[in-house]
Parts: sequence; C-alpha cells; structure tokens
Amino acid sequence: MSRLRNPRTRLFGLLAFVGLALSACAANAPQTTLEPEGPAATKIDNLSNITFLIAGVVFVLVEFGVLFVVWKFRARKDDDPDALPEQLHGNTKAEVGWTILPAVILAGLSVATVGTILDLADKPEDALRIRVVGQQWWWSYDYDIDGDGIHADDDVTTPGIEHPEEYATDIETASEMVIPVGVPVYLDIEARDVIHSFWIPALNGKKDAVPGRTHHLTLEADEPGTYIGQCTEYCGLSHAYMRMSVRALPQAEYDAWVEAQLADARTPTDALAAQGAEVFAAQCTSCHLVEGVNSDTFDGAAQVSGAAPNLTHFASRGTYAGGIFDLWRDLDGDRKIETDEIGVELERNTLEAWLRNPPAEKPLYPTGARGMPNLGLSEADIDALVAYLMSLD
Amino acid sequence: MTETSTYSGPAPDVMDGVDLETWGFGTNNATGVSNNKLGMWLFLGSDCLLFGALISSYLLLRHRGTGLGPEDVFDIPFTSVSSFVLLMSSVSMVFAVSSIARDDQPRTRLWLLVTAMLGATFIAGQVYEFTSFYREGLGYTTNLFSSAFYSLTGFHGVHVTVGIVMLMSLFVMSLTGRLTKERAETVEIVGLYWHFVDVVWVLIFTIVYLIP
Amino acid sequence: MAIVERPTPDSAGPLALTSGDRTATTDDALGVFRRPSNATGWRSWLFTVDHKRIGIMYGAAALFFFLIGGIEALIIRVQLAAPDQELISADLYNQVFTMHGVTMVFLVVMPIGAAFANYLMPLQIGARDVAFPRLNAFSFWCFLFGGVFFNSSWFLGGGADGGWFAYAPNTSVIFSPSHGMDFYAIGLQITGVASLVGAINLITTVINMRAPGMSLMKMPVFTWMTLVTQFLLLFAMPVISVALFLLTFDRIFDANFFNVAAGADPLLWEHLFWVFGHPEVYIMILPAFGIVSETLPVFSRKPIFGYEFIVFSGAAIGFMGWGVWAHHMFASGLGPISVAAFSVSTMFIAVPTGVKILNWIATMWGGKLSFTTPMLFSIGLVTMFTIGGLSGVSHAIAPADTQQTDTYYIVAHFHYVLFGGALFGFVGGFYYWWPKAFGHLLREGLGKVHFWTMLLGFNLTFGPMHILGLQGMPRRTHTYFDGYGFNMWNMVATVGAFLIALSFLVFFANIFLSARDAKKPGWVAPGPDPWDSRTLEWMTASPTPDHNYDHVPVVTHRDEFWYRKYGETDDHKLVRIATAEEVAQTGERTDVHLPAPSYWPIVLCAAFPLLGYGLIFNLGFAFVGGAITLAALYGLALEPADDPDGGHGHHDDHGDDHGDDDHDDHAAIEQEVTTGD
Repeated sequence: MSRLRNPRTRLFGLLAFVGLALSACAANAPQTTLEPEGPAATKIDNLSNITFLIAGVVFVLVEFGVLFVVWKFRARKDDDPDALPEQLHGNTKAEVGWTILPAVILAGLSVATVGTILDLADKPEDALRIRVVGQQWWWSYDYDIDGDGIHADDDVTTPGIEHPEEYATDIETASEMVIPVGVPVYLDIEARDVIHSFWIPALNGKKDAVPGRTHHLTLEADEPGTYIGQCTEYCGLSHAYMRMSVRALPQAEYDAWVEAQLADARTPTDALAAQGAEVFAAQCTSCHLVEGVNSDTFDGAAQVSGAAPNLTHFASRGTYAGGIFDLWRDLDGDRKIETDEIGVELERNTLEAWLRNPPAEKPLYPTGARGMPNLGLSEADIDALVAYLMSLD
Repeated sequence: MTETSTYSGPAPDVMDGVDLETWGFGTNNATGVSNNKLGMWLFLGSDCLLFGALISSYLLLRHRGTGLGPEDVFDIPFTSVSSFVLLMSSVSMVFAVSSIARDDQPRTRLWLLVTAMLGATFIAGQVYEFTSFYREGLGYTTNLFSSAFYSLTGFHGVHVTVGIVMLMSLFVMSLTGRLTKERAETVEIVGLYWHFVDVVWVLIFTIVYLIP
Repeated sequence: MAIVERPTPDSAGPLALTSGDRTATTDDALGVFRRPSNATGWRSWLFTVDHKRIGIMYGAAALFFFLIGGIEALIIRVQLAAPDQELISADLYNQVFTMHGVTMVFLVVMPIGAAFANYLMPLQIGARDVAFPRLNAFSFWCFLFGGVFFNSSWFLGGGADGGWFAYAPNTSVIFSPSHGMDFYAIGLQITGVASLVGAINLITTVINMRAPGMSLMKMPVFTWMTLVTQFLLLFAMPVISVALFLLTFDRIFDANFFNVAAGADPLLWEHLFWVFGHPEVYIMILPAFGIVSETLPVFSRKPIFGYEFIVFSGAAIGFMGWGVWAHHMFASGLGPISVAAFSVSTMFIAVPTGVKILNWIATMWGGKLSFTTPMLFSIGLVTMFTIGGLSGVSHAIAPADTQQTDTYYIVAHFHYVLFGGALFGFVGGFYYWWPKAFGHLLREGLGKVHFWTMLLGFNLTFGPMHILGLQGMPRRTHTYFDGYGFNMWNMVATVGAFLIALSFLVFFANIFLSARDAKKPGWVAPGPDPWDSRTLEWMTASPTPDHNYDHVPVVTHRDEFWYRKYGETDDHKLVRIATAEEVAQTGERTDVHLPAPSYWPIVLCAAFPLLGYGLIFNLGFAFVGGAITLAALYGLALEPADDPDGGHGHHDDHGDDHGDDDHDDHAAIEQEVTTGD
C-alpha cells in the first residue's frame, strides 16, 4: 500500500503546522492568555505550562504511535489472504499498566492544581477593594476610598445581594479600572441584569458576574501599563462589544488620580462647553450621573439595569461605550490606551458618530431600555457636547 | 483473557431446554422480569431524577424570596390527613393486585375503585389546599416559594391523576371482562407506579411540610 | 409488545405451551380501531414499527438537520472570516450560533446515535425487534416533530438567541423578548420525551431480548456502549426536563424561578443544565466509541484488545460522568473546595477515556490493517479524539480553565471531541453498515476523497481555534476587532469550514451514485458479509429482512459470527472453516410473526407541536393539540393487538400481545402527562 506514505506525510505536515502555529501564538495578540503580567496569571500560566507539556508529550506519543502502528501493520499485497494475525484478546498486565500510569500522572497534576486553586482563592491582606459591576454591555467600577460605607448611588444593584461589607462608593467610573502597581486589588464582582464575566487575561483568569451574588477575584499588575480583556459570558445582543481595561499606575500617580476623581465635575469655562453643558442637562442627565451637576436629583438610570456610566471624569478615561471605542488615539497601535496616550489626540470622529446615533455604532436595544437611544442631536449639539465632555477631565 | 475456538463447524442453533421459537417472549428471557415490568421500573428510575431535581430546586428557592413563606400557609394537620389517605391507597392497591392474582374479579374491582377514590380524595385535598393558599394571597407568581411549591406539588398531583386514570381504566376493563387473570401483571405494573407515587409523596411531605 | 415467531400457522403447540392460555384471548382484541396493514410505499414508512426502518429514518432526519446546522455553521464562519464584519446583525448571529449548537447536539449527534442503536442493537443481540416497537415509532416521530417545531421558530419571529446552554436570566422574557427561547424550551422538551422513551425501550431490549447464550460479556461493544448511553439518557433527561419546565413556566406563566429581583439564584439553572449537560457529552460520544470498537477489529483482522477494559471503561465513563458537571462552571463563582473537587474528578475521567484509546491502538497492533473508508474514519476518530481529550485535560485544571473557558479554545476542544470524535465515528459507521442496511456498498474511491477532505477541512477549521482561544478570543461574539491577532486564523478556519462542506457534498454524491451503481445491470451484490465481519448483525441477509433472522441464533462466543467462520486446528492454527454465505441465514423465511404497523405514534406526536404553538401563541391550538393527544392515546390503547386483515406476508395472529399493549399506553400516558404537554 504505497498510498500510505501520502497520509503519513500529510499528518507530519499537519503536526509541523500546529507546532509553528503555536510558536507564533503570542505575536501581536494584546489579549493573549500566554503572557502573564501579574502574580495570579503567572501562577496559572506555570500550571498551564506543565499541563501543556504533559499533554504535548502524550499527544506526540499517541499520534506517532498510531502512525507507526498504521504503517507497520498495514496489510501488504503479498500477504496470504487466508493467514490471520495472532488473535490476541488482551494483556491484563499491559492494560492495568496503562490504566495506572495516567492515573498517577494525573494524581501528581491534581496536587499542583488543588494547591493553585486554594492559593488563588486566598483573600489578600491589605488589598485595595474595588466593586466591579457588569450590566448590558459595559462595566462600572466603584472605589470605597474613605471606607465610610455611604454613597448616594449604592442601592442600584439587584435586590437580594448581601454585600460582603457595607459598600461605599466615593469614585464611580466606567469602561476602565485604574489600579496602583504592585498592590493586590480584591474585586467584588456583581451584575445588575444577566450573567457577565470579568476577564483580564494578563492579570488573572475570569470570574462570572452573577446577578444576586458577589464573587471575588484578585488582580495585581507587576508593571505599569494597560491590560485589556472582554466579557466572556454570553450576555445577549452586544456581548461582543463589552470590553474592559485595567490601567495600572505607579502609586504616586494613582494617588493623584484618586485625588482628581474625588472632585466634582468642573464647571465649563469656555462658551461652547457651557452650551454643551446645557445640552447635557437637557438630554443626558436622566441616565448619566455627573457629580456636582445632577447628583442631587439623580435617581438611577431609566434602564433595565438601572445604571448608565457615570461621566463625572469622562475625559480622563481611555475608552468609552463599553470599552469598545478609543477616546484617545492609540498612538503606538497596540490596541491599548496607555496613560501617556490619554489627553493627547482626541478620536473626534468616533465620538461624534457615537453621539449622533449610538445604536448604529453598537448593537443596543434602546426600546427595551437596554442601551443608549438615538437622541436626535443636531450637529451643533454634538460639537457642544464634545466640548463639554472634554472638559470633564 | 484469551479465548480460543474449538469449533469444528458452524454451530447448530440449538440449546438445551430453550424453545427458540418463543425466545425473548414473556418470562422466557434473561432476567425473568417481563419487558413491561422492566420498562416500568426504568421509567420510575427516571422519574426519581425528575422529582429529585424538583425537590432540590424547591429546597434551594424556598427561603430566598420575600413575602408569604411555608410557615405562613401550611396547615400540617390537614395535609397529614390527606397524606394518610394517600398512604392507605397503597394498601388497597396491594389488595387489588392479590385479588386479580386469584382472578377474583369483584374484589379486584372493589379494591381498584377504593384505590382510585382514595387517590381522588387526596387530589381533592390538594385542590382545596391550593385554593385556600391562593385566598391567603399565595398565587403561582407571588414569590419564589410559591412558584417552587406549586410546581413541585403540582407535578406530584399530575402523577396521582394519571394513576387514577390508569386505575379507572383497569376498573372498566374488569367490568367488561377484559381484565383476565393473564393481565394480572398489568395491575401489578400499575401498582408499582402507584406505590412509587405514594413514596414520593412521603418524601415531599417530609421535606416540604415537616422539615422547617 | 413482546415479539414471537411461529413457524407455521397451524403449529401453535409450543407457543400455546409457553404462553399459557393467552392464545385464548386471541380474538378478544381490546381494539376498536383497525391497525394499518403491512402497506407498501410511503405508508410503510409513516406507520412502521420496524426498528430498522425507524433507524434509517432517524439517520435520514438527522442528516437533514445536519444540513441545516451545517449551513448555520457556514454563516457563522463567513461572518467571522474577517474582523469587524457585520454581514449579519448581532441579533441574527446570536440566533444562528444558538440554533447551530442546539441543532447539532439534539437533532444531529444524538439522533445519529439513536439511528445506529435502533438499527443495529437488536440485530447485534439476535432479537427480532425492540421491546416496545410502537413506542419506538413514537420516539422517532416525537424527535422529528420536536426538531421541526424547534426549527419552525425561524419563520415565526426568530430563532432562540440564548445559546444552547441558555443561562438564566438572559433567557427571561425581558432579555430575550422574541419567542425563540420558548421554542427552545418546548422543542427540547418534546425531543427529550423521545430520548427518554427510547432509553426505556432500548435498555429493556438489551436486558431482556438477547439471543440465548449471549451473556452480557458476550455482547458486541457497540451494544454495550448503547446500553451505557441509554442509561445516561434515562437519568439525564428528567433533569433537563425539569430545567426546561422551570424556564417555560417563567417565560409563559410568569413564575419566579430565575427572577433575580424576587431573590432567585441564576446558578440553579447552571447546575440543572450541566447535571444533564455533562452526561450528555458522553451520550454523544459513547455510541461512536462503540462503532470504532466494531470497525477496528474487523479491519485489523484481530479481536478487540481487552474487551473487558473497553466495556468497563465505557461503564466507568458513564458513572464518572455524573460527578464532573461543575467543571463547566469553574468561573461561575463556586467555592474553591467545590472547584478543587470537580477539578480532580474531571482529571480522573480522563483515565478510562485514555484506556480506550490505548486499547484501540493495541487492537491494531500486530494486525493486518486494511485501509477501507470505515477504517480510515475510525483511525480518524482515534487520532482526532485524542487531541480533544488532551485539551480536555488542560481545562480540567481549574485555574487554567479560568483562562480558557468561554474562549475559542473551548470551541476547538469540543469540536475535536464531537466532530473529531462522534462524527468521524458515525461517518465511519455509515460506510461500514451501509451494505447492511441497503445491500450495496458506498464507493470506496469517493469515500476516501470524503475522508481526506473532511480530515483536512476539520483540522483547518478547528485546529486554529486552539490558538485563537489562547490568544484571548471569546466565544459567542458576533464579530471581533482588527488588531487582536485574530484575523489570519479566523480566515483559515473559514476556509476549512468550506472544505468540510465540500467533503459532505462528496458524501451525499457518494450516496446517490452508489445507489445508482446498484441499479445498473451486471452489478454484483456484496453478499451478507462484505467486510469479513465479526458480529451477529452480518449473519443474516443484507439488506436485513423484515424479520431479521430466520431463526434466533444461539450464541456461544463473543464475536459469534466470526467464530462460525473461523476455527482452530489441532496445532492451534486459525483456519477458515466456512464461508459467510454458508454461515449466514438467507432471510427467506416468510412466516415469522411481526408486530403490525400502527397509525397512532405519528398522530400522537403530531399533536405535540400544536401544544407547543398553543402555549406560545394561542391556547386554541393547545386545545386542538390536547384533543388530538387524548384521541391518539385512546387510539393506541384501544388499537387491536394485531391487524385482523393481516395474514399476508409476515403475519398471523398475535395472541401473545394483549397483556402488553395497555401497559405501553400507560407508559405513554405517564410520559405525556409528566412532561406537561
């Protein structure tokens, strides 16, 4: 059977292809799971590497074993058609052996696994605590800076949630979470409507945000930088457009960021922005909260989730609309908006398009109170609004 | 583990003591349990998981909601009585099975009817219970407890009702002379189902009503 | 509905002896309705209770749904071929991937398994039919009408859009306002009834209706795997039934089971779904394992290596499959102890699976391998499933899984298991048993083209998904952005998907051309045993006669048929002692009693979609459906045990059947009511 050579080469080719492909994996993949940048992700990666190594060895042994058997024991043209191979029914020793051997390997692996599971579940001491809340189709982040447990907007999550401790929110932001470098951040992950999943592959594995429950995850970034991820539990219409990023800052910069975020929104000084503030007050304040503008009257957003992004310091963020649009130009083209890119060059066209007709830019369900409706803004309104939003830094 | 053949030629298809022409029929099979009875056992095994899932859901949900809860509406003495009635129907079912085995048609009919009536009494009790709960403000959609409670006990009620229909079918068959002694096993199989439904009720009564 | 044969109409002696005076009730039929005669043409299919016809119809219906699911897959791949594409809207995409998943799982892989089980299992155990032939027909029609009902949602406001896993509360009316999820819940309920009734039927058949001498440990491996599968179905279906009831009650009657505002816990659905969902995985794969356990020995000309290990590892997978469900939920917020426990249990389920792979390789070891199309597909299963199994181990490691779950890595994994595993096995099974069912072989040349295109296309489609997943591409996203490194591999996957489509065009062409070959003058029938096979089903004529066997074979060996063809000389040399034609039965007997066809299974099942439409749109339909259901149930119950006008062909009286009939109907009634249709 000379044709056997053919499948063999094909399979060899396939294996080579898989190998090459895997080695090319990490190139230009900003959301990759294979380049950990924090302690939790590193622990996972170490465990994965052992697993992939063992699996790889087994893969090679089994696949090449099959190929060898297929080649070695192929029927040949000159075989006596009546001669039968030895009718071997089994070999108990061999079979017990290959039952026990994988069991032993897996037992070893399971020890490492259980260790890592328990390790990752530990609640870190002296952690910064941030509440992460998912809703269709964006994430909000609440910081309890002074630990006083009081905040006007603390009751928006679904009834039935028992918070791990009385939660206070002194900073409420959206689309991107800002954390200090080298400090463990303990997340309380919740959801306001359906199940979402919070995932920053470079920092840790994912954790579902389940309405009615609070789940925890520890993030820590080794280096300053922006780490991106996206929602990984199917959450309806715009699931593909629910992204998040974590921006890690050195402690001093982080403290400055906190200081700035705690302040109320600035009152616009130039005329266009002031005009934009009026448009905002007329069109946007029934859903969006801006501290110092409508915090006295705001009573939750007219949405199924009861929430819309807090825009108090909108211009200080890298992205918006569920993290899918860059607010500032991605100068180095790595699909992450780093700290040094914020405030440099506005992505004006995208922002204007979003304000012009949000459901055209992102699948939303505004008639069902899930997502931003088309407000029918005039071009003048849009220009003014952009100017106002840019003043919210 | 090796197995070698000592055949000298094709096997003749004969086997001592086995009538191949009737093989696979009736009790002349591998287990000695007829297909019908085995089928019923399998169905009941599957039904265990149905009630298992319903009871688990109920246990998970009953204390999570707000509003009227189990302790607000349950009338334990009343439900105890109706549970006792249902339990007694298992006894009469046993009598029905033994009567048909003796081909005692009048008694078979009597006990089938008694069993069905006891079952119907239980169902009537359940209808009364549901009605009074509803009057107290516990509708199906009221809260988690109500949805879970009505669904679980409702499923059981449907099971009992189906049992009553089967019993009455047997009763009519007996009246028209079709429930011969040869169909005694049919009565036995319906009996299996009936006992199962009773046992499930004992579980439900204990878990739902008695354990706080 | 036991089956019995009588040699001649007037030799009632032995029958009368064993069945006592049942024969006395012969003319005392319960029935008021006539049964259809053994009709020809389309009626012979609609009203059949013959396990072989039902098996063929399962296969045909599943291939039809495979076309639908395949088209949905191609739509997905076209949309994802390049970044930022909006060829179809997010809404439509979500429907397409949901319908693709549900169709492939419930309407393709499961029924193909049922097709093989129905056609082959009774033959492999030397039985005339299954234990409850009318319930068998009921199962098939129930599956078909359920599947058609589910797919009719495309024309009635849109398909289901909550994913096949349908996590609450995304499936509640507020988040999924179309009727798609109603069709999902009710449609799967209907197909679930089919699976449950089928399970009761097939388990009873295996346990009670084996030919004399066929002990459990002499059963063919495929029959064993069918038995394990059906037990899994028996216990898994009620759990998903409950989950679907709760969902239906929530959506249609405003119950609160998944209403978070009322305090519900969405994890209830996840647990119920995966308690069903993980055994479901083995329900889909074990039949294919059974198939390759039949083909590998035949084409290696050796017995299966370690029959006991193969069988017990199959059973072990069946048992352990119940203790691993939460590995689908490692990211869902379970406590670390649960995660650790399920992680370890999941790792160890790899052991029996690995045993099977190694035993298959050992089966080929030392053999004389001939690479026919079924053999190629079987080797394809061994090699491809290994990849899926290994990636499975990598997400049994819970911490690693928190990076992998809900990414394309998982999509790659389960396609290597279900496509590379189940479907390769099934297609191999089609090629292997095609002559058994239709009397002619499929063309080998086209078969090999089919295999190599499918193997290449499959690996091109799903191999790159491992990389995409590890690069962080999530599942169930209607598009992805440029710049994330996803572009090239998605394009490769799309090209691969069209290669798979091409390979199946070759398959369908093969079916058509081979059937045409067999009609040409001068065509030589392959005879009862084209592959020099080992198991009983080949010991009768091909295509299988209606009555299966002229006489019930007595079994003395595992691989009975083979041992009738080969014997051992005094110096322990194996020699052929008989040709297949000498050993196999001719199937020419005409006086075997067979159960008569029945109108009622199809009528009864036709009512279920009406009940479904009634619940969704207008209770009026439900009343009509309910009325038909009741009428059909009474029809079944009051149907005479046999056709009084029969007598031609495979007919005579049916005296043994009375006691059994009404029980069938009770089972049907219970089924019907407990599932709330």
